[in-house]
Amino acid sequence: MHPTKAVSRRLQRRTLRDLQRLLGPENVLHEPEDLLLYEYDGSVEVARPDCVVFPQTTEQVVGIVQIARRDRVPIVGRGAGTGLSGGALAREGGIVVVFSRMNRILEIDLENQRAVVQPGVVNLDLTKAVEHAGLYFAPDPSSQKACTIGGNVAENAGGPHTLAYGVTTNHVLGLELVLMDGSVVRVGSRAPDPPGYDLTGLLVGSEGTLALVTEITVRLLRSPEAVKTLLAVFDRVDDATATVVEITARAITPAACEMLDGWTLRAVEDFIHAGFPLDAAAVLLIELEGLAEAVEAQAVQVFDVCTRCRAREVRLARDEAERQRLWAGRKNAFGAVGRLSPSYYTQDGVIPRTKLPETLRRIEQIGATYGFQIGNVFHAGDGNLHPIILFDSRDPDQFARAVAASTAIMEHCLSVGGALTGEHGVGMEKSELMPRMFTEDDLELMRRVRDAFDPLGLLNPGKILPLGKGCGEIRVQPLPLRAPQSA
Amino acid sequence: MSTPGTAALTRLADLVGAEHFWTDPTGLSRYVVDGRWPRAAVQPGSAEEVAEVVRLARAEKLALVPVGGGTRLGLGMPPSRYDVAVDCSRLNRIIAYDPGDLTLGVEAGMRVAALDAVLARHGQMLPLEMPFFDAMTIGGMLASGSSGPQRQLYGAPRDFLLGAEFVTGEGRRAKSGGRVVKNVTGYDFHRLLIGSLGTLAIFTVANFRTFPRPPAQALFVISFAELGGALALRRALAQSPLTPTAIELASPALVRLLGPDAALVPPGHWSVWVLAGGESTVVERHARDLERMARSASRTAFARLDAESMNPLWTRLREFPSLAREASPAPTLVKCNMLPGELGTLAAHAENIAGRHRLPCALLLRGVGILYVLLLPEETGEETLARLAAAAEELLQTGTEYGSAVVEACPVELKRMVHVWGSAARRNDLELMRRLKQVFDPDHVLSPGRHIGGL
Ligand SMILES: Cc1cc2nc3c(=O)[nH]c(=O)nc-3n(C[C@H](O)[C@H](O)[C@H](O)COP(=O)(O)OP(=O)(O)OC[C@H]3O[C@@H](n4cnc5c(N)ncnc54)[C@H](O)[C@@H]3O)c2cc1C
Repeated sequence: MHPTKAVSRRLQRRTLRDLQRLLGPENVLHEPEDLLLYEYDGSVEVARPDCVVFPQTTEQVVGIVQIARRDRVPIVGRGAGTGLSGGALAREGGIVVVFSRMNRILEIDLENQRAVVQPGVVNLDLTKAVEHAGLYFAPDPSSQKACTIGGNVAENAGGPHTLAYGVTTNHVLGLELVLMDGSVVRVGSRAPDPPGYDLTGLLVGSEGTLALVTEITVRLLRSPEAVKTLLAVFDRVDDATATVVEITARAITPAACEMLDGWTLRAVEDFIHAGFPLDAAAVLLIELEGLAEAVEAQAVQVFDVCTRCRAREVRLARDEAERQRLWAGRKNAFGAVGRLSPSYYTQDGVIPRTKLPETLRRIEQIGATYGFQIGNVFHAGDGNLHPIILFDSRDPDQFARAVAASTAIMEHCLSVGGALTGEHGVGMEKSELMPRMFTEDDLELMRRVRDAFDPLGLLNPGKILPLGKGCGEIRVQPLPLRAPQSA
Repeated sequence: MSTPGTAALTRLADLVGAEHFWTDPTGLSRYVVDGRWPRAAVQPGSAEEVAEVVRLARAEKLALVPVGGGTRLGLGMPPSRYDVAVDCSRLNRIIAYDPGDLTLGVEAGMRVAALDAVLARHGQMLPLEMPFFDAMTIGGMLASGSSGPQRQLYGAPRDFLLGAEFVTGEGRRAKSGGRVVKNVTGYDFHRLLIGSLGTLAIFTVANFRTFPRPPAQALFVISFAELGGALALRRALAQSPLTPTAIELASPALVRLLGPDAALVPPGHWSVWVLAGGESTVVERHARDLERMARSASRTAFARLDAESMNPLWTRLREFPSLAREASPAPTLVKCNMLPGELGTLAAHAENIAGRHRLPCALLLRGVGILYVLLLPEETGEETLARLAAAAEELLQTGTEYGSAVVEACPVELKRMVHVWGSAARRNDLELMRRLKQVFDPDHVLSPGRHIGGL
């Protein structure tokens, strides 16, 4: 929990000169004021790069890697910078490679439901490009209007609808990679079952620590013919969590099952006017999708479960406008919360769904112990928690307590058989917690795989694997008076 | 490679206990891989024992081949060295099952069929219907990269494997992922190990998400005079909102292998086998829409079999590789992977290639973009093998132009004439795979030489 000091190793003059020659001076930022934006991402971390570059082709990325390698400068990929674990920050300084100008959709194959995109393509833009044909790209992080598919691949991003359709890794078939030795390698394929090791499966979710991704082949899904969106309103949080447990136990598979607790929904309502009842203790936003007959059958089951679990009201969105309002309330929840507090810290943990009721009670207890309001807005159907701790980062005592509360929540997740992160990644935020989930042998294997890709340790250093310096606590840097971008 | 010392084998026996150790021909016959006999076989009783076996083997320079149900041991090239079979069948327990969370942790040597029986008691399942269902184990299924017809709806095992524990070629126990349905903590080694044929690590535990067993199911068998009609139906299905569990296209020759039960397909006709599951209203919707689509694709017959009546026919289709062994003394199975839209083109090529080499052939096309070509020579012998080799070679080549192709099963002698991985060894990611092999198994203790590029 010591604030990281960005090691500003001033770039050699020839590094900068060669980058400018390669990309043109307009595609290389190095003045301190220009770098400011790139000291941040969506997390509460900060680290200053020495320069920021904007390649437009794979060849340029190769050139950048060659220069970085020659001059032994760290290199970090960056999409839209919406990541929530500090993944895109230059923890040890060096070159940040921003993919925002590699944002072309290269190919769309409607018949076979495939697309080939550059990494800088914004998630929602891909869906917009294919929706006329009744197709869409399934991973839908709440940040989808801003985040890039390259960032999704690196983080193995999820979203509300990944409950039914799976996360990014389930939709990525192949990648073009630039390795740290400057070689360009293709892994995976458009066709199923490419022979050999599943390198695509290893690369997705590797948080930009193994290779830079310059092209992505994805699968597209067919839009469902029927959608029903339900809002279930509860007077007790326990009833809402019991509902999620029961829906899971009955193996009903909604496309999405999101929960907002009372405190959060009031913050949202104030800001978005989604139509959430202000006096509720919790709501569940449940979406059913698929064949009309399947949706019909599921709706009956979900109504039944909600009623049995004492929902005060189960409301069916009457039209698309109402449905969009409810989702706007969910997708902008973080932004709404951000207006209420000088700082807030969004956690990301996972638990078995059967442990949901006790876990929310535990989070409430932890809040009381450390003296915080902790809001909950999360992917309940997946057991993927996002407790939001509100605090004032200008107050060192509050900051320390926020970190301690956060660690206590993570410890609870692990103690019930859960995981440290469900979708935001380990990044620099949780690297020191990794030994709580993995043995030294597990971590050593990760370290050696990483070395096999990047023997010099220049690619996104200081992420995922523990540095071994800290005391095993989450490090967060007190700062942002600026709330993370919301989408 | 010098012959391993008997001292090392004695220590292996001490390690696992004499009752779990064999060196006699009868005991070893189950572990023959491509005609190669190991010197010994062991059945470790725990993950720690697996690790000790691997460490000992590494120190003594013994080569190991992990064995599950022994049903897919013929996949890949023959091992370049093979001293000890590591039979995982004692690792056969469910270590955690939380039906309410739809998650499961199971040891790698457990038989899929036994696991399925337990899940069935809770109304749940894993979508793992595939050839050798009754004998295959979780570890062997994963390591061999197998998948079956239900992949159309549920995806391949890589899509529902949540994490794994394994022993690397250095004899270290390690894990990745977890047992929750969503998790991005650390590198996903469990995916990397799928299809690695035991050349990187030995699985000891696998964690899965489970699925509800559909309350109702029906199998629709729809026939067409020509392949074109069958392909048109596949295409219409892919563009419809329907959610079939499986879409399999069978050539007339494949239907013949299925025996008299398959008389619901007119002789000489192609057939599309569509499995639909869910609430009964969902199944009925599939029935209605399929009728209509089949009619506009000029079907010649339309049969519906409900859950009670679909077996044994559906099981026979699933087990088509075994039927091949009844039909031919030297069955050879080539698997081609391509975009679904190219299935028809490749099927035509395959029939043409088989025909030119005077080899009877049966085809199974899977809707997701897989073509199984079964070459079924009626006799063995030098001349037949030569034709078989030439046909396999051409299939590998043509298949690779559309995606990839491998020989999944063949007579051992053919492996001396054909590289079963085809041109996959020329992929430009092979160097990365070598580096990973170096990390996981630096001394090539595990299944040396079996995978592409001699991995
Ligand atoms: C309001 C809000 C809501 C969010 N909701 C969700 C959600 O519902 N689900 C979810 O999963 N996440 C969510 N996120 C987190 C974030 O949006 C995702 O992690 C997203 O995938 C990051 O994409 P990005 O383009 O912003 O990547 P960045 O933040 O720029 O980078 C993320 C990581 O990707 C690496 N990277 C980027 N591009 C490349 C490349 N081409 N090659 C190699 N590495 C690369 C970076 O080095 C870094 O490690 C949310 C964030 C915000 C701010």
